[in-house]
Amino acid sequence: MKKFVFLLVVGSLLMTTAGCQAPTPAATQPPPATQAPAAPPTVAPTKAPQVVTLRVSNWHLAEKHWEKTIKDAIPIFEKENPDIKVNLEVISYAEKEAKYATEIQAGAGPDLIHLAGYSIRNFVESGYLYDITPFIQKEPVGFLDQWYPHLVELFKYQGKQYGLPSDYMAMILAYDKKLFTEAGLDPNKPPKTWDEFLDYAKKMTRDRKGSGKTDTWGFGTVGTIDPGWELRFSPVLLSHGAAYLTPDNKCSALNTPEAKEAFKFWVGLVTDAKVVPPGVTSQGAGAVRTQFANELIAMKIGSGWTAPIIPTINKDFNIQENLGAAPMPVKAGKTLAKTTTAWYSGWMITKNTKYPEQAWRLLKWLTSKESDQRWFDGARVLSSRRDVSGDPDKGIKAYQPILDDKFSQVIQAELKNAQINPQLKEWPQIADTVNKEVQNAFTGSKSADAALKDAYDQINKILAPYRKAGETCPAY
Amino acid sequence: MRPGFTAMPVTRRKLQTTTVLAYVILIGVCFFNLLPFVFMLSTSLKTDQEAYAIPPTFWPKQATLDAYTQVIVWTNFPRYFMNSTIVSLGTALLSTVLGALAGYGFSRFNFRGRGLYMGLVLATQLLPGVLLIGPYFKLLAAVGLYNTYLGLILAFTTITLPFSAWMLKGFIDTVPEEMDHAALVDGCTPLGAFTRVVLPVIAPGMVATIVFAFLLAWGDLLWALVLTSGDDMAMVTLGLSRLVTQFRIVWPQLMAGSVIASVPCMVLYLALQNYLVKGLTAGAVKE
Amino acid sequence: MNRRLRRELSRAVRTPFGSEITGNMNQSLASKVLFRSIRLNTGFAFALPCLLLLLLVLGLPAIMAVANSFTPIWSEVKTFTLDNYTKLLQDKTFWESLQVTIIFVAYTVMLHLALGLVVALALNADIRGIWLFRIIAILPWTIPDVISGLVWRFMYDPTAGIINYFLDRLGVQNPYIEWLAHPRLALPSVILADVWRGYPFVMLILLAGLQAIPKELYEAARVDGASVLQEFRHITVPGLVRMVQVALALDVIWQFRRFGLVYNMTQGGPGNATDILPLAIYRQYFKYFNFEYASAMAVVLAAIMIVISIPYVRMMVKRT
Repeated sequence: MKKFVFLLVVGSLLMTTAGCQAPTPAATQPPPATQAPAAPPTVAPTKAPQVVTLRVSNWHLAEKHWEKTIKDAIPIFEKENPDIKVNLEVISYAEKEAKYATEIQAGAGPDLIHLAGYSIRNFVESGYLYDITPFIQKEPVGFLDQWYPHLVELFKYQGKQYGLPSDYMAMILAYDKKLFTEAGLDPNKPPKTWDEFLDYAKKMTRDRKGSGKTDTWGFGTVGTIDPGWELRFSPVLLSHGAAYLTPDNKCSALNTPEAKEAFKFWVGLVTDAKVVPPGVTSQGAGAVRTQFANELIAMKIGSGWTAPIIPTINKDFNIQENLGAAPMPVKAGKTLAKTTTAWYSGWMITKNTKYPEQAWRLLKWLTSKESDQRWFDGARVLSSRRDVSGDPDKGIKAYQPILDDKFSQVIQAELKNAQINPQLKEWPQIADTVNKEVQNAFTGSKSADAALKDAYDQINKILAPYRKAGETCPAY
Repeated sequence: MRPGFTAMPVTRRKLQTTTVLAYVILIGVCFFNLLPFVFMLSTSLKTDQEAYAIPPTFWPKQATLDAYTQVIVWTNFPRYFMNSTIVSLGTALLSTVLGALAGYGFSRFNFRGRGLYMGLVLATQLLPGVLLIGPYFKLLAAVGLYNTYLGLILAFTTITLPFSAWMLKGFIDTVPEEMDHAALVDGCTPLGAFTRVVLPVIAPGMVATIVFAFLLAWGDLLWALVLTSGDDMAMVTLGLSRLVTQFRIVWPQLMAGSVIASVPCMVLYLALQNYLVKGLTAGAVKE
Repeated sequence: MNRRLRRELSRAVRTPFGSEITGNMNQSLASKVLFRSIRLNTGFAFALPCLLLLLLVLGLPAIMAVANSFTPIWSEVKTFTLDNYTKLLQDKTFWESLQVTIIFVAYTVMLHLALGLVVALALNADIRGIWLFRIIAILPWTIPDVISGLVWRFMYDPTAGIINYFLDRLGVQNPYIEWLAHPRLALPSVILADVWRGYPFVMLILLAGLQAIPKELYEAARVDGASVLQEFRHITVPGLVRMVQVALALDVIWQFRRFGLVYNMTQGGPGNATDILPLAIYRQYFKYFNFEYASAMAVVLAAIMIVISIPYVRMMVKRT
């Protein structure tokens, strides 16, 4: 009897594995399977077009309102290009690098991927991407001028172009006008300098609801290890006149008096002035937004995503009346070229695509003017195209809806003051190092000075490959 | 073995202290285990608004099944569910069967290299999945098993099998060798002795192993993430992880999905827990 | 003796002393000889499917992973180098991670065992409604550990979390306890979350072990007048020893690999307070793309795990 049960178990197991192939529709089969009747991929489209399926992966598909914008736009492309079918794949933001890297290494990656600035350099320099220089050379002269040149550069490696920029925004100060008014501050006069900022923050850190203890704080920020951390700390460094690295990327520049001042200021917000809610080292960007939407904090550093997301967290938050946007505060008495940090993303073709020509067409379309305008309409994210985000120096006006939107217009104006963070393969590691030392300083494990010194030393170690033998960095 | 005993009723007093103690511990366990669960449940019944409220509420002021509807109807959750169930069940069965066989071999037979093989089985677990996943993925793609149930089952089995084999060996060790010796003498093949004599006795152990392997496969994220492509083959953990977007964690839906996801495990456990009953060890060796 | 036994024995006779042995054998001695004679091939045959599967599927990836720490196997240039290991030895954060990992493993395994044993004993009792308690006991384990990491993180949040909310309601003076944000509290908080999630595993193994102890032993002991404590010492403990060893060995290895929970709770912070090695390896691999360095870290971790688990393995390999 037991033997019978045993065989039954084994038998059912075999049945499971026998009928094991999932009924995947043709569109999602991995590259080795046939997708189109033997069509040589690089033939010019003079023959009757065979339908080719492109896999496009984008983390934006995980967010409801963004997914809709993307899904509504794709049919437009498919109508204009009847020989291409687009298959959208969602991926979570945190796991995208892991998945893409593994898939591309094994030759089974998607055709197009979308990455945020944080990891773009890693992918560009790791050889995972398809070189689109030949395609660009076939385009009319000045093709690459459609985007801001410093962004196009970010996708270049060893003279070859590996992708095109997509989103582009500047970090600004978002604030709650209602909390300003309640604390006796003028909601139309946001702080312009860091001293003002500190002053405002202190005034708004109080017992607002009569609970007997502080229940509202002036400022909230990201403190945990989070890719968005660098976007909140970097503006402070920049607007004090400091930088992470020396221009030649050989050493850290955190040993300058400006850097020390910026670091001490930032740490002081938590340890001395206490204008930040408790537990900052465990807060991610989402948590800070939740705090802001619940009126736990009065100010935060944010960008284009802030305005659309806040109402989904708290629908009682009146965006039109109470959400204020201000340029990043600066250090009083300093004139600086760059005072805030830029956020950007890009579209790239992966190196194992079987249909580079079709992928190129899709890439062009995804980064076209109409696409970026549609994207702003749906997602409130600005573009890296001059003809969408504007270029006053060249007399190019921005897309009107950007200028009409109170929040976005501040971002657009700050673009010229925005600095991209150092673009190295080692950037994630450098950012994490500083992040951890800020955490150590926030929690009091180390003094601000000791923490900064450790960050400085560790970054210099990380940058060792960039220095020639005999070159050393100055002491802290 | 004590000869000639008869079952006698236990004194009432003794029964009561141990029972009371058991109840106290179990009630404590209930609180400890259930608190986060109740929190998950109550969050899944909240509106988005209330889930993010600061200060938080414990019981929803406005209970709604919205999150459940969203998850079941508006996402591909049922499909993920089915995929996860098939893969986890397949993994559980495969690793328990192979593990039991291996456990019996290691336990009863002293063949050459036995210790080495046992160590090797365990050694496969020493390297983290992060390192293995790249080469393994290439292997699967080369054999054409990428994005298939069989490929996933094989992948997960390699994680669950070493532990299953070791666990079952441990259980089999507790069964006196005389029992299967007796069966052999009676004319069984070793396989027969195994299935007829040893397996019934370690049934609780088999249950533990099946549940363990199922839950391991069910809860894995990294391999599920990398070894599947597209929505049709995605698994539950993957579907849930997508609710952690770049901007926020969609709590009510995440909790609703997690509550639903814990159901198959409970069902499996309920179905099998009859085997976790004392007294299945009837059949002591007669000497 | 039956025909089959005679046939098998005649095969066994080919061993030295065979002819003497088969002379006058009684049943049990015959069976022992028989058993020993077939053990060489059969045992291996039993273990073969398992070994084949593991070695075929994981063998190559494992070798490649280890090789990667000595030479970058994905690039064209292949030079053998110990650079990764020397860098590792000098890396302060690696040693801190190692320390955190060992503390984490030690505490979680001990607590898993203690809690698991107590609960298994309670679930072994003959009380009404035991099935309900059994379900509740295993509940934490049915949640994937990435999810339980997120849930506990939410509960631990200083201002939005439910734990501080209860403290506030109870009138605690400063209810904004920074469970995951304070370096001293972070690791214990993470350990608590992991104990919650992980003890059912140990409990299940021990429960199964307890169930395997024949009821008759207890009843006989009661007849002889043994107290509960004596029963425990002389019946339960010896019966459970093997399973405790198994649970311990597996749990130690398991906890050294713990990743999802801590990743979603603290990402290793604040500072390095909860930065266990699997987390550091993941970061090096998938965030910094330092594949070779990550491989070296993993090899060192594996070596440590081997060293720690050798006594357990020896114990388990020994036949009782």
